[in-house]
Amino acid sequence: MIGGRRPLQGRKIGDRRVRVDRPHSPYFRYTGPGQLTARESTLAPKSGGGRAVERTRRLLFGRRLASEEEVYERLPKKLALPIFSSDAVSSSAYAPDEILIALFAGGVVALQFSVEMALAIALMLAVVSTSYRQVCRAYPSGGGAYAVAKENLGQVFGLIAAGALMIDYVMTVAVSTASAVAQAYSVWPGLYDWRIEIGLVSIALITIGNLRGLRESGNIFALPTYVFVGLALLMIGLGLARAMTGQLPSAPVPAQVPAPGAEALTIFLLLRAFAGGSVALTGVEAIANGVPAFKPPESRNAANTMTIMAVLLGVLFVGFMFLADVMGLRPAVAGGGPTAIAQLGSAIFGDGSPLFVALQVATALILFLAVNTSFNAFPRLAAILAGDGYMPRQFSFRGDRLAFSYGIVILAGVAGLLLVVFQGDTHLLIPLYSVGVFVCFTLSQVGMVRHWIADRGSGWWWRAAVNAFGGLLTLVVLLVVASVKFAGGAWLVLVLIPLLVVLFWFIHRQYATSTRELALRPDQVIAPLHREERVVVPINGLSRAVVQAVNVGLAISHDVRAVLVVDDHAYAEHVRDEWARQVPGVALVVVESPYRALTGPFLAYLDVLDQAWTPDKDAPITFVVIPEYVPRHWWERILYNQSTNQLRRALLGRPNTVITNVPYRGEEPAIFERRGRLDSHAPPDDPGG
Amino acid sequence: MADKPIPLFSRVVVALNGGPCDERIVRLVVETARPTKAEVVAIHVVEIDWTLPLDANVADRSESAQRVLDIADAAAEHLHGKLEPVLIQARDVGAAIVDEAVERAADLLVVGLPYRKRFGGDFAIGRTVPYVLKNAPCAVWVVREPMPGEIHA
Repeated sequence: MIGGRRPLQGRKIGDRRVRVDRPHSPYFRYTGPGQLTARESTLAPKSGGGRAVERTRRLLFGRRLASEEEVYERLPKKLALPIFSSDAVSSSAYAPDEILIALFAGGVVALQFSVEMALAIALMLAVVSTSYRQVCRAYPSGGGAYAVAKENLGQVFGLIAAGALMIDYVMTVAVSTASAVAQAYSVWPGLYDWRIEIGLVSIALITIGNLRGLRESGNIFALPTYVFVGLALLMIGLGLARAMTGQLPSAPVPAQVPAPGAEALTIFLLLRAFAGGSVALTGVEAIANGVPAFKPPESRNAANTMTIMAVLLGVLFVGFMFLADVMGLRPAVAGGGPTAIAQLGSAIFGDGSPLFVALQVATALILFLAVNTSFNAFPRLAAILAGDGYMPRQFSFRGDRLAFSYGIVILAGVAGLLLVVFQGDTHLLIPLYSVGVFVCFTLSQVGMVRHWIADRGSGWWWRAAVNAFGGLLTLVVLLVVASVKFAGGAWLVLVLIPLLVVLFWFIHRQYATSTRELALRPDQVIAPLHREERVVVPINGLSRAVVQAVNVGLAISHDVRAVLVVDDHAYAEHVRDEWARQVPGVALVVVESPYRALTGPFLAYLDVLDQAWTPDKDAPITFVVIPEYVPRHWWERILYNQSTNQLRRALLGRPNTVITNVPYRGEEPAIFERRGRLDSHAPPDDPGG
Repeated sequence: MADKPIPLFSRVVVALNGGPCDERIVRLVVETARPTKAEVVAIHVVEIDWTLPLDANVADRSESAQRVLDIADAAAEHLHGKLEPVLIQARDVGAAIVDEAVERAADLLVVGLPYRKRFGGDFAIGRTVPYVLKNAPCAVWVVREPMPGEIHA
């Protein structure tokens, strides 16, 4: 009978049918011959506590998504521009402060070089973006620094790029969050004392959003970028118009502006200012990484978007610096005062005016978008590295919402820690930022030179020349940044990158070794084992769990013995008396342990058994069958099985040994008592009860 | 106030035969049923010949029989709809479909009509569809398989 159902009678005589039960259907679907697909219900928790956790998880992170629910979105240029350029464009919000702070150390007179600094950085931006246009064309599947360096320069340089990129992404989160909070306290100074808490809450919210599967997509992400760019261009336009008519006011000097420095105006001071301002280039590579997300023709659209982005960033950056120069702006952000962009907005739009507040809010939002860019890129890079065997495999697993949860959590944790350690101060964080970025730029450009030389397609030589020039320039900037900011924190990055590379290699070697050990050779088929088997059951007394384990042992082999390690002779004798009655025919070995240890004597007994084996026969397989009591509640677990856990750990890796757990599940007390009464009526010599 | 859609049916039984038309039928029925939240029952009947007892373990051990309903269930879920899959063993497919529709008080029965390409190509009307048309206690929709060259839905 199927499913216990009787045949159902139809309308006519002889028309009978049977409904067939489908026990698999709540949990699985047959999707192909011999292939089942698990349904979400297989993950449903069974305990009350588990269900409560599941409800909370669902409330925070949303329902689980199946792999097939992943959305691949192709972006038109008008959406791709704001989405991919938020990281680069947002750096114009903190780069001017860095130039001004560095120059101000040389006194007010040094500030007159700020426009020249901005122009030099804009020139560098033009060269780097032109170089990256080539990457867009050469790597339509996405030309991240790791991919380009690995393919063209070899694994070591690929790993250096990967390490630098990881630091870059972490720093983007820390710096952009700190700067976003600085934009907020530029308007509402009372928030300064809460900057770390606000930063941490922001990172936590973005983390939850990304664990829910937040994507860099849609108009929601485009809007803040366009609003920021629109307001910033309006501010620059108004400022220029007023400057031409002589109506541009001088910027009010905030209270937090320190006294001008007395450092001599040297080339070193100018190089330091240049190194500080070069942070404006961070995020330029984002478009080259995301070429596959563009609508066809992907490469051309990405390259054109790269040019538009570079022009926008250049105009904003030079515009801000020009106005700062004309208005005599003093840097104040390092002391908790307003940022340069806030000082400009306040002077041009009017302090507290709606346009000024809108500019600051849009600036903070675009900085948070830059944070989100890293939250998308870092876990993806970690997943690629995990796939290549350079990171733990967990980083390639997708969570319930198709997000790379491990990468997201690690990124949030490290960036949050940096924010706390550096007191949420953008200026203190910046020296750690640029080095990693310029390492990636340089490796990517040099890799492209190798690519064109190997490719030898049409116009290869001038393409190689463009990338070579870009690579040389970024290398020079890298050396400048690393040397002038070495003491300020760049040393940490220079130490961290090699450490990360060593870590990647170490992980790779471990995985390679285990893969070699586990690999099946194509020329060899492993034959089934024809070795004798014996069963050893470690016991601590006589119980239902022990009897059940012995019975399981008897199903494996006829050679079964129980081993009782004990320090109490009287107890051992008591167990031995009961043993013969409950488990007749099974040997009980009592090992007395005067030093009260359990695991050591048991392992020594197994060794003695091995040594006693006939030398002319292959060593037998020893099944250690461990009886285990499974308590009904999770909180009871601490009370049981501690010795068996210790024994199991000790047995792991022992040759020719198989560990078998035989769980005995706790029954309802009522059932137990009822069964106990039944047992008491059974004949005393009936072992089955 | 917008008028509520008038339900074409409140409970529909869809007979699936494991052919290429099944997914199309499920899509059609689930899309039609969704606005009025009509109940959809998908049945697949495994015919048992007289050499075996009617309750022999045939369908429950047959992956292909289970798969017919699982594919239908997945198609419905993909459209955010629901259906109740029912696997049946019977001597006669047509009678089992009609009896199931009667027992569930269905007001619509949907069956597929396969197209055979051999011998110049024709619809394989067989015994089941005429039986269902003659004996069903409710409206019957027959959804034919697309003919060669026809644009698929």
